[in-house]
Amino acid sequence: MKLDDTRTPGSRWLVVAEQESRDLWIGGRGPLLVFAYSLLLSAMTYLAATNRAMNFLEQREAVNLTVQVALSVGVLLTLVVSADAISGERERGTFEALLLTPVSRRGIVGGKLVAATTLWLACLVVAIPYLWVLGRGVAATGQAAVLALCVGTLVALGLAGLGLLISALTNSNKTSLVVSLLLLLVLFAPTQIPALPRTGFGELLVRINPIGSALHYVSQVLVGRRTWTHDLSYLVAPAVLAVLVCALLIVIGPRIVKLTAGVGSE
Amino acid sequence: MPTLEAVGLSRRYGPRSAVEGLSFVAEQGDIVGLLGPNGAGKTTTIRLLTTILRPSAGSFTVAGIPDREPARIRARIGVLPESAGYPARQSGTAYLRYAARLFGRSRSESAMAAQRLLKEVGLGDRAGALISTYSRGMKQRLGIARALINDPTVVFLDEPTLGLDPAGQREILNTVALIAGERGATVVLSTHTLAEVEQVCSSLLILDRGRLRAAGTVSEVKAAVGAESLNDAFLSLTEGSDR
Repeated sequence: MKLDDTRTPGSRWLVVAEQESRDLWIGGRGPLLVFAYSLLLSAMTYLAATNRAMNFLEQREAVNLTVQVALSVGVLLTLVVSADAISGERERGTFEALLLTPVSRRGIVGGKLVAATTLWLACLVVAIPYLWVLGRGVAATGQAAVLALCVGTLVALGLAGLGLLISALTNSNKTSLVVSLLLLLVLFAPTQIPALPRTGFGELLVRINPIGSALHYVSQVLVGRRTWTHDLSYLVAPAVLAVLVCALLIVIGPRIVKLTAGVGSE
Repeated sequence: MPTLEAVGLSRRYGPRSAVEGLSFVAEQGDIVGLLGPNGAGKTTTIRLLTTILRPSAGSFTVAGIPDREPARIRARIGVLPESAGYPARQSGTAYLRYAARLFGRSRSESAMAAQRLLKEVGLGDRAGALISTYSRGMKQRLGIARALINDPTVVFLDEPTLGLDPAGQREILNTVALIAGERGATVVLSTHTLAEVEQVCSSLLILDRGRLRAAGTVSEVKAAVGAESLNDAFLSLTEGSDR
């Protein structure tokens, strides 16, 4: 039986993406992570709905809060999965077999990136019923879902790529996860300071932080009722991160996707 | 044309030389035994020839493909790496199907190739079982099946009998002989077990501290050293190495 020469090595990233997604969702960590995420979302939605009934939280604010939690936790889970993608395989001893195939290093990275991003998409799908419950009557559900899809996917792509870079550059899976989570903490912590965007320095901090600026943009559209294009400049940071990380993976991917991490290991 | 040819192949890690000036030639159907004490450079040699590592100096060709085209070389080789890991939650069939698809086979071809190879290595009745339920010997046989999934020209087996009982070792060696005899592939077999080399290898390379100490058939190596057994020849060539 001859090999199929019509399938170019470039298209084999799809095979990697398909298998990685299968490993994540069938018998992998995907369902458990999404279940835990849905429990959190249920608790948040319950609290938001209760507060709204007490007039503490306007209906659009409740929708915004749910989108913010979905986006924050969704990208966190995506980062965790991508941070394990290469260093984890190295530790489990399965990476060498993948490197020994004709699939290019860029193809391996691309497949793993797509698979990690499916976790964010699953988180988004899970969030939609909650948005529907909270957004009934103010026609905010559709807008919130599309907003979460566009902004969240941008942030998830950037962070998944960052997780892959960290994973490729670290030999230990534990180190990769710790570095990734610390990075996320650094990015996420400023978003919890409510008055931050109101000062000049605070505004700068929000704008350069891909998570902070994305969350700010979402709240401007959902709660501030701004048009989608009005505060588009807030999406510069997440867009730059996504483009930069993907470009880095394409350019340096062949040099960092190897059996062991570190200088001189190639 | 030789199926495998290395010329002055070297690999350095800073000042330390893992492989130094290795040159050899192997033809179709040869089983080349790669011998040496721990740290001799056997695994580094295999990783160089399988494009996992880049040589610091020298060059090699696999099936006439030069080392500057690693993706093409990987399409023509099969490898059982040392201490290969296996995805515990996949079945043997799923594992091989995925490997076949990475080599460009269609879904239906992959399924057929997986089924055929699992039967060939004696895992036909456990094809659907999770790999986590496989014994060490079964995993090694699965690894060999994976190494054959692309009908390779050259097969590299890095210590395939390590940790196996005598029956398991015999099965693996029989499979190695079949790979060279029936498929006509060149096999590079890295091992510590001299009896295995005498049993199946048509030629051997003895490495010590990264350098090639002897090459040729078993009888040629014994004659060159003036030893009565391969064991004596091996010890004489590698005495004083850090083990």
